[in-house]
Amino acid sequence: MDIKQLKREPALQSNSYRNTIFSSRVHFPPKRMDDSAGKKFDQPRIFRGSIVAAFLFAICFLSAAAPAQDWVKTGTGLGVEKVRLAVPDFKPSTTDPQNAALLKTFNDTLWNDLDVSGVVELVSKSFYPLQVPGQPPEVNFLAWNVPPPNAAMLAFGSLGVSGGKLTVQGWLYDVKNFQSPQILGKQYSETASDAAARLMAHKFADEIIFRLGGGVTGIAETQIYFVSDRTGRKEIWAMDYDGSNQHQITRIGSISLSPRVSPDGSRVAFSSLTKSGWEIMMYSLELSRTVGFPHLGGTNLSPAWSGDGTKLAFSSSRGGEPEIYVSDASGGNLHRLTTAKGPDVSPVWNRKTNAQIAFVSGRTGLPQIYSMEADGTNQQRLSDQGYAVSPNWAPNGQFLSFAWVRKYGPGAPGASDLYLMDIASKQWVQLTHDGGRNDFPSWSPDGRHIVFQSSRSGKEEIWTMLADGTKVQQLTFTGRNTQPNWSWK
Amino acid sequence: MAANPEIYFEHDRLGHALAWSAGLHVVVTAALLFYSAIAAGTGGSTWGSGGGGEAIGATLVSTVPLPAKPADAKNVLANESKGLTQSQPKIEEKTPDAIAIQGKNTKIKPKKKQETASKEKPLPAPEEETNQVAFGEGGPVSGPYGTFSAGGAKGGFGVTGGSGDFGTKYAYYVHALQQKVSENWLRYEVDPRITSAERVYVTFDVMRDGHPANVRVEQSSGVPSLDVSAVRALQRIDTFGPLPGDYSGNKISVEFWFDYKK
Repeated sequence: MDIKQLKREPALQSNSYRNTIFSSRVHFPPKRMDDSAGKKFDQPRIFRGSIVAAFLFAICFLSAAAPAQDWVKTGTGLGVEKVRLAVPDFKPSTTDPQNAALLKTFNDTLWNDLDVSGVVELVSKSFYPLQVPGQPPEVNFLAWNVPPPNAAMLAFGSLGVSGGKLTVQGWLYDVKNFQSPQILGKQYSETASDAAARLMAHKFADEIIFRLGGGVTGIAETQIYFVSDRTGRKEIWAMDYDGSNQHQITRIGSISLSPRVSPDGSRVAFSSLTKSGWEIMMYSLELSRTVGFPHLGGTNLSPAWSGDGTKLAFSSSRGGEPEIYVSDASGGNLHRLTTAKGPDVSPVWNRKTNAQIAFVSGRTGLPQIYSMEADGTNQQRLSDQGYAVSPNWAPNGQFLSFAWVRKYGPGAPGASDLYLMDIASKQWVQLTHDGGRNDFPSWSPDGRHIVFQSSRSGKEEIWTMLADGTKVQQLTFTGRNTQPNWSWK
Repeated sequence: MAANPEIYFEHDRLGHALAWSAGLHVVVTAALLFYSAIAAGTGGSTWGSGGGGEAIGATLVSTVPLPAKPADAKNVLANESKGLTQSQPKIEEKTPDAIAIQGKNTKIKPKKKQETASKEKPLPAPEEETNQVAFGEGGPVSGPYGTFSAGGAKGGFGVTGGSGDFGTKYAYYVHALQQKVSENWLRYEVDPRITSAERVYVTFDVMRDGHPANVRVEQSSGVPSLDVSAVRALQRIDTFGPLPGDYSGNKISVEFWFDYKK
């Protein structure tokens, strides 16, 4: 098997420098451990007194935990190459002064959408020929389909404002196919504004991704809901999937947490601190106000929509300990699913089948991920150790992502990182490695991206990545932003 | 000989400290070894091997519905294949020797360069069937047939549309289709004892709206779990995306083969 193992360097900047070395060394296979040990201990920075102790530690852990594993970033399964797509800047089609600003918005948005899509490989602009097309007759196939660009696909077009109306024409060409190159030709027209240019770029990117990505709708028009304290209070906010257009949703003036948007995108359920304690609240995005949801008493947290939008699962302590309850979307027909001793919280539906619910339970001590049927039967433990929270089911129902401190407790310093588990085989893989506390993963509707909260930049902010852990991007920068939730479409 | 009492004094103190140091180190070592023995006995050795040793999900990334990175496992620079290009042996160009000036050095006579040049004939080209693509050197496939590889295992396919040129006309669709099947093929479903198997051929249709239908094993590999994993890969797929709008047919038929090798 051609697995590429990449060894991770310990984070040098953190105060727990030495701990980091040890915690990661524990899992290295003995051979490599010796290599790295030799290098590290030659460094004069480490106090001499600790060298002996450190060495003894290393020996002890070696004997105790030699069969454990290193984390592995694989190069297997690699399959098909991504399509090489060239996206030259769109050309102005009129001479309106507004063109320049709108072109920049459009080109940047289109490039970013395609770049983070995970479906295509964008050809660097430095390889492009000097003459870029704005109209189909201007396409010079031989300039694009051979190196240096060596592109298989070419997305090009023009943008122009005339009479206050912004018109964008875009094409997608298969430049290796001379007979019938056109895959896509689109025209968009709307009142000229920055938002309109952005929207057109999103739409055009989605069309390209839909065709090149095997019929999976793109996510360029999706929204991410999150909690932000930038106004001083924790309120629910929303933004485009790429971090632009951040705007406040709720103005309750209390503390609001765990926003979950409904599958049809019309409502956001969240939990908020009210006079009667933590209650589930419902905000209508169509009416732009909170709508009624019964107050149940006790502490009610982390609502989760079923895939068909008819049911809501959440944890409630109205009967004593926090347990999982399910109700209709209106709050009626409430019934309890779990009865085990110990808290059961953070339910999430398998949105593909609506037949399973994953949740976090503290019935054995530290929180662990469990799954059960939607009627509460067949409860199974999925995580085997450590501290596992925040499950989120992938849209295809195959994977569960969650935050996990694999070695939790004194003497076992572990970081909170995101993991991906295949439900059927219970195999898992680590997605984040870059330090900080990583938590609250939420899947994009296309199943290719995960948005999450991370403190790697110093304070909690929202980040996204591809579902294999690559293309990590920070979306928010002001205030503390937590608990992201990706809209369903 | 009177020794400096201060030296003795310091020596004495150092020895004392050394004794303490050695003693403490022994104690710490013993304690740690004792602890490790206990930790090993109380399940410490099961760290990282959750679920009975099946926890190592190293290959899982391949099943994330993303096109994986193109990684050429084979080293094209150093493999045993002779390659496609048949290089002609280089004809050595003899630089004409300098003609000695008469009388300067009579021992060296000017060589006859014409003879050596005419004797050296180009060697016959290395024998290789010209239609044979050497392993790993074929370059991207342009026709309707293609291959993919997944962790040492390979698959391939052929597409037949209505007029027979679907693969060339809509190469992008074929590429997306190929990508999608390889993403959804979970190799861990294959019996782990199998290291290699015969090729399994699966045929299916892609309907107008893009969903696969009539999935069947055309030729079994002889390994039931491999056959099942191949069929499941297709059953897992909801849609390949609607067939291209200007394609006239109602469906395309696809033959997909899976090579399994660990």
